[in-house]
Amino acid sequence: MDIIGAWIAVFLTLAIFSFLYKDNPFYKIAEHLFVGVSAGYWMSFNFWTQIQPNLLGRLWPSKHYSDSSLWYSIYDMFGYVASSIFPSGGIDKGHDMHLIYLFPLLLGAMMLISLYKPFSWMARWGIAYTVGMAAGLRAYGVLNSNVIGQVKNTIIPIVGTDLPFFSLTGDSYFNNFVILIGTVTGLLYFYFSKEQTGHFSKVTKVGIYFLMISFGASFGFAVMGRISLLIGRLLDLIKYSGSEFHHASIWVLMAMVLLLGYSAYQEKENNG
Amino acid sequence: MNYLIELILKMAKVDRRWIFLTIGLVVLIPLLYPLALPIRPGKDSQQVYDFVEALEDSSKVLLSCEYGPSTKPEIHPMVTSLLHHLFSLKKGHKVYVVCLWPDGQFMAEEALDEVAVERFGLTYGEDYVMLGFRPGAEAVVKGIVSDLRKLYTIDAKGTKIEDIPMMEGINRFEDFDFLFSGSAGYPGTTEWVQFAADPTDVPMSTGTTSIQVNEMMPYVLGGQIKGILAGMPGAAEYEELIGVKGIATSGMDAQSIAHFVIVLFIVLGNLGYFIERKRSKRHQGS
Amino acid sequence: MLWKRQIPIIIVSLIGFATLLGWFIDQPTFKSFVDDDATQWFDILAAFAIFLGGLNLLKLQTQKVLTKQKGWQYSIFAIAGLLFAIVAGFFIKGNPDVAWGTHVTAKGTLFKWMFNYMVSPMQATMFALLAFYVASASYRAFRIRNFEATLLLSSGIIIMIGRVPLGSYISSWFILYLLVLIGGIVVNSFFKNKQYTAIFVCVGIILVTSAGSMMGWPLDQPAVFYLPYLQEWIYRYPNSAGSRSIMIGIGLGIFGTSIRYILGIERSYIGE
Repeated sequence: MDIIGAWIAVFLTLAIFSFLYKDNPFYKIAEHLFVGVSAGYWMSFNFWTQIQPNLLGRLWPSKHYSDSSLWYSIYDMFGYVASSIFPSGGIDKGHDMHLIYLFPLLLGAMMLISLYKPFSWMARWGIAYTVGMAAGLRAYGVLNSNVIGQVKNTIIPIVGTDLPFFSLTGDSYFNNFVILIGTVTGLLYFYFSKEQTGHFSKVTKVGIYFLMISFGASFGFAVMGRISLLIGRLLDLIKYSGSEFHHASIWVLMAMVLLLGYSAYQEKENNG
Repeated sequence: MNYLIELILKMAKVDRRWIFLTIGLVVLIPLLYPLALPIRPGKDSQQVYDFVEALEDSSKVLLSCEYGPSTKPEIHPMVTSLLHHLFSLKKGHKVYVVCLWPDGQFMAEEALDEVAVERFGLTYGEDYVMLGFRPGAEAVVKGIVSDLRKLYTIDAKGTKIEDIPMMEGINRFEDFDFLFSGSAGYPGTTEWVQFAADPTDVPMSTGTTSIQVNEMMPYVLGGQIKGILAGMPGAAEYEELIGVKGIATSGMDAQSIAHFVIVLFIVLGNLGYFIERKRSKRHQGS
Repeated sequence: MLWKRQIPIIIVSLIGFATLLGWFIDQPTFKSFVDDDATQWFDILAAFAIFLGGLNLLKLQTQKVLTKQKGWQYSIFAIAGLLFAIVAGFFIKGNPDVAWGTHVTAKGTLFKWMFNYMVSPMQATMFALLAFYVASASYRAFRIRNFEATLLLSSGIIIMIGRVPLGSYISSWFILYLLVLIGGIVVNSFFKNKQYTAIFVCVGIILVTSAGSMMGWPLDQPAVFYLPYLQEWIYRYPNSAGSRSIMIGIGLGIFGTSIRYILGIERSYIGE
């Protein structure tokens, strides 16, 4: 199975890379497969790691299982249909029964029913819950760490302590001054309530320079990151070109190059 | 001289597929024929290393893996190096693994198999435990901060938390001594800083992809994060510090040459642009 | 209208306020609900949303095949991929020793095989494509049109070269000579006088050569021109200042937007 898997992985990798030459059927097949398999993978993974243990496991926990209970007879009925999801005796994930979890079950069911067009508005309730929760969490977290925390960290000594005047690799007055000026002028650049003219424009110009240095550094890091990803893929292709995988990379590459080359030749002939 | 100028102008208009091929070869060849360039650890990687070295005996370390196959080349070497560092110190450190990304669980299991099981022969449940993935992003972080046992009633293998020996005394985030987040995006390091490390003062370090490093620098400089492993170079620096060379080190040759080639492309592109501009100004003047 | 509009807005406000106030109110029942149950509900609804997305994809791709729209043949691959993932997730474990639920992460299962040889390579390769595009963009689009662009490019190049091992081999003296040449170009563009340019370049070369000879040509001195030290300074100080100002600005924006959602002013989640 591993060798078949290796050949499939190599085919899919090279099919996606073939897009660099031009859009072609290999790439389209791989792209559509990617979309389908990823969607199915996420659905399955989330069901088994969240819905079954945390939702169903709290509605029908094995701790409170009873043959005579009406609630658990509903569970047993589901169990006849899908015994993998509803194993006999309840779901044993260490939870107590929390019937309040009928609310997320209702909201979740409404989300799924929204697939049917006349009921598309039903998804709004579940989405509203997640939006509200995310807004409440973000408001505090971002204000505390990204705003107040960063402002606090910008209040740094520029005189009066025993730091050196300048140091290339450590703290110094000059470096602290650069951080202070850069942060303040950068922030002033984003202040659009006042027209950026006269002396104010000179200050914001300094802010732009700091922002440009920051964007340049981001560009450098972005290049670094992308090349690292390519290195990872090529290392896998090198691994799969070995004899234990029957030189998968080499054979698949040759086949693709031949087929794409032939198709390019045919296209040229047809155009000519 | 004219020939050179014409060549530069011609190269500026080259089909981009030749550029793709050049980049592909420039990355592939050093991987097949390594140069073994020496690596100089930077200040931020050194800070992470020093912090881990200074952890007290039997520290409880929370390792959070939020990366997937696409960012594995950058983050995975950091996670394996950190695990190696923690276990090789033989101070009885316990490692608890959580994941904010589902793929992170696969990556973490691979890292634990490679280091904890194969290299050090450690025991699951006594030296390390995989609590696993929970969806919910910052809600998960908040859950770990307030009541970990409510969020994790079972570990990734389905074992109840109360049956795992090393989970004794672990109820919330503040019961840990150190957090390391191997993060490739959202949710990740930012959420750990905002909802866990900053409010509780539990020290944390992080390893991130190169692209995220800039976002994290304010936290590093502000002391909210103790050092950062920045992308593949950061991973290679950490491998150098612990003395165990891995994928990150072997990738640095290819990274070095690729960077030089891209800088050369930028210079050539701009040379062509300036020559074109000068010529068009001259035509306009005449 | 009540079901479709008012109730979702009320849900966002209630949950948003509860989550925000949960940071400040120490009442045990309220705090337990906000920190634990509300969090769990968020996780569960997120899982349902993924289910919704997957089913929606199946619906759209099936419609495409049934109505024979352009490229419908490739949609068959998307559907097949999704169904394969569902089968691996819910019907065929592949490893009888593993329980349903843990089969999504356990070794030896069909689901894990699918992840290792299909999902993982495709995901990684899609991202690795970006390395090629970033190189192509650097060559064809990155132009020094003004001072800001020069700053951006210079900091990007210094970071890219200084961060890699090969960068430590470049002597500070090489950088100094390069700066002298660049200075000559700048002098020429200002004065447009070949004599001035020649004098500037000659004097510069003589000064650098004399200084180098006196110091014995150390690789990393003067430190300010040694790329690894220079990139570290740029990355830790001016770059951080720019990043910090962006972070504070974005943080204030997120806080403002979150409050707008909680107060019901922003209603994009219901399409308004």
